[in-house]
Amino acid sequence: MTSAPKGHTVRSYDEELNQLNNYISEMGGLAEAQLAAALDALGKRNSELAAQVIVQDESIDRIEAKVDEAAVELLALRQPMADDLRQVLASLKIAQILERVGDYAANVAKRATVLNQLPQVEPARSVPRMGRLVEQMIHEVLDAYVRRDADAALAVWHRDEGVDSLYDSVFRELLTYMMEDPRNITACTHLLFIAKNIERIGDYTTNVAEIIYFLVKGVPLTEARPKADTTSFTVVNPPAS
Amino acid sequence: MAVAEKIAPGASATVYHVKKGDQGAVLDVAGFNLWYGASQALFDVSMTIERGLVTALIGPSGCGKSTLIRSFNRMNDLIENLTIAGSIVFEGADIYQSRADVIALRKRMGMVFQKPNPFPMSVFDNVGYPLRVDGVRDRRRLEETVEQALRRAALWDEVKDRLQDNALGLSGGQQQRLCIARAIAGDPEVLLMDEPCSALDPIATAKIEELIDELRGHYSIVIVTHNMQQAARVSQNTGFMYLGRLIEYGETRAMFTVPKVRQTHDYVTGRFG
Amino acid sequence: MTVELTNPNAADAVPRTARSKRRTATDFAAEGEPFVWALGGALAIGILMIVGFLFLVVWNGIVTFFPKPIAVVTAVNGDVFAGEPVRSEPFRPTVEALAALAPPLRAQIAAADGLASRTLYRVGNYDLYGEDFRWIADHDARRVEYPAGLVLVERLEWGPFIGRVKAVATGGGAARPAAELGAAAIDAAHAQARARWGRIHRIERGDIGAVNHALDKERLKLRKVELAAGIDSADYRTAAGRFAEREAALKQDYDRLAAEAAALRAADAKDTITFADIGDKEKTIALSAVVRMYAANDLGLAAKLGVYLSRWWEFLADEPREANTEGGVFPAIFGTFVMTLLLVIVVTPFGVITALYLREYAKQGRLVSIARISVNNLAGVPSIVYGVFGLGFFAYIVGGTIDQWFYAERLPSPTFGSGGLLWSSLTLALLTVPVVIVATEEALAAVPRSMREGSLACGASKWQTIRYVVLPRAMPGIMTGIILAMARGAGEVAPLMLVGVVKLAPELPIDGIFPYIHLERSFMHLGFHIYDVGFQSRNSEAGKPMVFVTTMLLIALIAVMNASAIVVRNRLKRRFMGSQF
Repeated sequence: MTSAPKGHTVRSYDEELNQLNNYISEMGGLAEAQLAAALDALGKRNSELAAQVIVQDESIDRIEAKVDEAAVELLALRQPMADDLRQVLASLKIAQILERVGDYAANVAKRATVLNQLPQVEPARSVPRMGRLVEQMIHEVLDAYVRRDADAALAVWHRDEGVDSLYDSVFRELLTYMMEDPRNITACTHLLFIAKNIERIGDYTTNVAEIIYFLVKGVPLTEARPKADTTSFTVVNPPAS
Repeated sequence: MAVAEKIAPGASATVYHVKKGDQGAVLDVAGFNLWYGASQALFDVSMTIERGLVTALIGPSGCGKSTLIRSFNRMNDLIENLTIAGSIVFEGADIYQSRADVIALRKRMGMVFQKPNPFPMSVFDNVGYPLRVDGVRDRRRLEETVEQALRRAALWDEVKDRLQDNALGLSGGQQQRLCIARAIAGDPEVLLMDEPCSALDPIATAKIEELIDELRGHYSIVIVTHNMQQAARVSQNTGFMYLGRLIEYGETRAMFTVPKVRQTHDYVTGRFG
Repeated sequence: MTVELTNPNAADAVPRTARSKRRTATDFAAEGEPFVWALGGALAIGILMIVGFLFLVVWNGIVTFFPKPIAVVTAVNGDVFAGEPVRSEPFRPTVEALAALAPPLRAQIAAADGLASRTLYRVGNYDLYGEDFRWIADHDARRVEYPAGLVLVERLEWGPFIGRVKAVATGGGAARPAAELGAAAIDAAHAQARARWGRIHRIERGDIGAVNHALDKERLKLRKVELAAGIDSADYRTAAGRFAEREAALKQDYDRLAAEAAALRAADAKDTITFADIGDKEKTIALSAVVRMYAANDLGLAAKLGVYLSRWWEFLADEPREANTEGGVFPAIFGTFVMTLLLVIVVTPFGVITALYLREYAKQGRLVSIARISVNNLAGVPSIVYGVFGLGFFAYIVGGTIDQWFYAERLPSPTFGSGGLLWSSLTLALLTVPVVIVATEEALAAVPRSMREGSLACGASKWQTIRYVVLPRAMPGIMTGIILAMARGAGEVAPLMLVGVVKLAPELPIDGIFPYIHLERSFMHLGFHIYDVGFQSRNSEAGKPMVFVTTMLLIALIAVMNASAIVVRNRLKRRFMGSQF
């Protein structure tokens, strides 16, 4: 990394950009914590924790509103150029994404509440594993954002492939489970949706990685993201009976 | 950071990524150096001005952009103790060779200055001045040319009923458009504009930016400006100069979104100084 | 946002004095009040002096032509004389005079610090008594009366006459007493005599003058041939023959005109008028020799104004007489005007072109600085030195050479080889050229650089820029320089005395004879006229009022010329400068 960038001649400009950074960091931390708590609530069958997660989602939404406002003001008053412009746009996009992530985490918590009233099912153990992976991805991508590290972002970008594979196997497992015993259908359906949410969060994380790459390099990431999600084509046949 | 190495003083390489026009170059500057007495103002400037496009020159005060633009029509000759090295090729010949006809050169270029400077004559005489000093006496030709120039400068409707009035009675923005009309009346190849909007209010500035957009294509325009947003809006190529050197010269879009040189980036984002 | 009101009397309030002391009033000297007053005062004093001077001149000059009453003074010693009272002043009587006075009078004078007052009377009648003016101490005047019927007569010769009209003789007949004729008839006869005199004057001056001039030209032509070909050549003989013919023809004209004039003169001599002064001494003169006469004590206000205005007209339009103490100053007005005009015509291109070169074309360096310093120092040279230079260089050297080349036939009488209109104008042009050069240089320097650059950027050459842009813009400043030069030049007298101004010029420098402007002629000048009247005339008391009137006229003439130049400049300013922000 080259020497630390010089500050703007007008210091309040720097302060406003830093404020934007801080909002994103805050949102990211919150989103990460939300997901961790939701997964916890699922794994440890803790409905209180789940309820907390649902309530907390509002705070992420509030920060997103503040980011919107700050970004518009920066654009209107400062006419940012080059890096600064990319940063403002990146902040806007990332804030939107993190807000969606928060929503998904809250959704997981909601479904966890339902699941907790049902007897535990077997795949309920593999879903949290997927969740931790994604949680790790979020953490690293936010780190990459703070450090403005395009390579770290790229690494995260590639890791989604693993999440997709995991989702694939969870999908098959749940389908099999549901076919074996129709009494599991409710639980498994909810689990399916939870898994889907987590997989979506993983996708969003790659979006954030792409945005970070553009923020740092100035050119968009042109490679096609390696996708391993084949669930759109998955067919599971019932066991011959 | 999307930053190349910082250009060290003394190096003469310009980071070059210009958008080429489809009509070729109109001015070719090669290794141009300029001294005011003993102090050097321009160091090894090399660039081409593309025909039919608008080229902006930006940079902090004292970086030499005005000096460079005034070298194109040899207005710097008015300063004593001037020394130059290198060449500027225009219409196939180096304008600084000893046999060059300076007056003929200036007739092929129009210049607009920072502060509007209409002459103490009527509007008609002002715009017709370049033809008059060229020896044109035919009244009808003068009238046609003046009308066309005023129309091109978006001033005709406002002054067509007062062509014989003193030009000094016009408002600041109108005076500057008059100066532009005067500059294009002689049908020049290149239009040189040295901070044409500095002294104007935003509405007049907008009208002139619109004018520059319309004139592009007919004329090759070189504009020096302190206002980066203006440079970004009106030009297709932008050159960033610092301390007499052309640091980076490239397509405007890239210069303001992903400049390749740290100094350019710092200047453009307001981190200079 | 709320403002907290602090109770200044509260126990914890900040003491008022401490705060207000910080808010000090601006230092009196720093504000500059004393300087404003001083400058204003200086300006006021200057204006007062100018106004006072103008007032003095105008006051004395305006009243000069107003007809005064004629007093008849009977002195204590029995002398009786009549005259216009001119002025009164205090004086110290001599010891002998005091001794001759009665004791109470002597005591009165002693009480008044030895001062008595006396009055000056213009008694005229110089040809009878040998004096124009007479002082009489107020205490010596027993009786002062203003009887009717006393007449002041302005004459062609000998100055004014004060007395009564006795008799008038017309057409060679007998003299009839004035009482019999009546004032109207006398005035009619006078008018007729003056008209006849005017005709004589026109014939002698105009027509005979033209004939003489033609004769002179023929003579010069012959002399030219003589110088060119020699007195023995064939050319000369033919020329001589032609000359003889022309001479004869012209001589015929001359004789005819002379006869006409002589006849008129004879008729004129038959009209006479006889006056008697207060002492009953008689004097008879030709009726046409009376320029103006009026009964001073009998005039109403309208009639007095009529006399006043007619005297003013005479002053402005007629020629001088009586050694410049009477008559008009028209030739001097004309000469001043023509000379100033010529001065402006010469100094303008000379000064402007020099300034243009110094400022625009010359390479600024040591040589140009020296030139500029020299020009500025020229302004400090005493004007009489210019006169000497003008005489020596222009008149003798250049004029002498011109005479030798072009006017050899007139030699040894100089044409251009002595002072004249041209050399005077050139000398004064030289005197005032530094003013024009400095003003022009300043005006050129004030043209904004942006305007020049704009012109050059349009492809104009340096000369085109100067001609179309710089000069018009600098014109108001240049005109200021010309106005200053004109004002200075019109008033300079010292150099003119050496190079072409004379006390009495026989002809005007512009007349109807080709080439219409005669640059070699001497001319009269108002400034010189003032000097001449004030100090060179025989009659200093008569000259004094004329000095004031002529000064007033000169100031008025220069003011009018300056005012017209200022009007031109203002118009130029409006056209070329407009409003620039």
